[in-house]
Amino acid sequence: MAHVRLKNVNVSIPIYDSHALRLVRLPSFSNARVGSDSASRTNGIIVIHALKNLSLDLEEGDRVCLIGHNGAGKTTLLRLVAGIYPTSTGSVDVKGSAFTLLSGSIALNADATGYENIRLIANLYNWPSDEYQDLVRDIEEFTELGIYLSLPTRVYSAGMQARLSFALATAQNPDILLIDEGIGAGDAHFQEKARERVNQFVSRARILLLASHSKDLCRLMCTKALVLSKGESVFFGGVEEGFAFYEQMG
Amino acid sequence: MASAIRGGLNTLSNALSWAWLDTVCQYRRSRIGPLWETLNVLVMLLGLSVVSSAIFGSSVSDIIAYVGVGIIVWSAISALVIEGGGVFVRNAGYLSNSTLGLGLYVGRTVFKIMITFGHHAIIYVLGLVFALVPLGWTSLLAIPGIILLFVNGFWVVMVLGFICARYRDVELIVRNLMQLAFFVTPVFWNYRQIASNRQFLVEYNVLFYFIEIIRNPLLGEVPPLTHYLTVLGVTVAGYGLAFLVYRRMRGQLAFCV
Repeated sequence: MAHVRLKNVNVSIPIYDSHALRLVRLPSFSNARVGSDSASRTNGIIVIHALKNLSLDLEEGDRVCLIGHNGAGKTTLLRLVAGIYPTSTGSVDVKGSAFTLLSGSIALNADATGYENIRLIANLYNWPSDEYQDLVRDIEEFTELGIYLSLPTRVYSAGMQARLSFALATAQNPDILLIDEGIGAGDAHFQEKARERVNQFVSRARILLLASHSKDLCRLMCTKALVLSKGESVFFGGVEEGFAFYEQMG
Repeated sequence: MASAIRGGLNTLSNALSWAWLDTVCQYRRSRIGPLWETLNVLVMLLGLSVVSSAIFGSSVSDIIAYVGVGIIVWSAISALVIEGGGVFVRNAGYLSNSTLGLGLYVGRTVFKIMITFGHHAIIYVLGLVFALVPLGWTSLLAIPGIILLFVNGFWVVMVLGFICARYRDVELIVRNLMQLAFFVTPVFWNYRQIASNRQFLVEYNVLFYFIEIIRNPLLGEVPPLTHYLTVLGVTVAGYGLAFLVYRRMRGQLAFCV
């Protein structure tokens, strides 16, 4: 049984920047005046309060879209559930294997061929070896890259790279799926084909968290909505109600 | 416990195949790939053998084996230290966007250096062909030495990776120190030739012991037991340090890179 349980979670992101990152500090290098509810300064380090007092209980079957302005904390929440970010206070209890689909999750190795990249991702994410051949065939069929799969991905067009990354990402089989923004897969002709694959991919996951600005996508994939504003949860309920709430928030 | 070991071995084998792919790609970019580094080591050892023989007044053929093995081992040590500092920064994209474990990045780095080190074996074979190094059963003792070196590589890379990700200046400091360490460690000069009141420079230098447990056997000597004990002590202390650093800095890592 997979679940995600967050209780009174705060995530503060320290900005180890300019002088803070260095061991040898230059005096009065940065004098930024900070002091609001979303950022503060402790020990000379500026801290962004990305999530504030957030509680969330997700059980199997929950498909939640995260709605909020840029910087509201959507990606931070995904990273928190994935275990990439720690909490400052509060407790996080995540059960089940998580897969994150953020901007850099599937980075293709430019000098390696398409097939080598597939092999690498299969290794890193521990695809079951008995299903490997099927998954490769599936990717060949889906990407329609043909002979290009034997060439370094450096020579691919942006669209072709997008197809391969998309195919690799959607071949995963996690319990908890964490997706940031839309899942792009190249040209329009391809979008059509991609939709079916996304549906399958998403339906295999037991819990879905999708950060998106696209109403259509959220309606299609999700059954619940969580609206975030400045790191706080301001609404949790149905998708339609969530968007209605978000819109009147302005 | 059993599943933890299985998980660890799985990470190691995945890291190895990642490092292998990195090597394959390196060959693809340049005609001889990592062999450029071997060539670099070869040029260096020839040059330094000439310099060293001139300074210490022996013939080049007498010291070339000593200097050669020293430089080959040094190239691995220095790569572990220098690449280690950048390990998490280099893998920042994965680190902040995926659920992959840190062991993969550390292993990728160590194994890549190991594969490059394997290329340098060609130089050793050349030494054998020209009968510059002796070959005997003692030579096999170099194998545990090499294993110990790379076993230590994992904690070195992890510790430096954490510290250099958090404090970016440290990476540059480490680079400088490695350059200095090259001169104060008996790589291209023999420690027996220095004044007895300066011997402590060598005795307190742990890098010396890592070199000797590989160099001695390859030159036909059995390394003293104390060398092994020193290296084992460093290994235990190093993993202890890695554990502490990991516990303290793991959480913040994604914020640093």
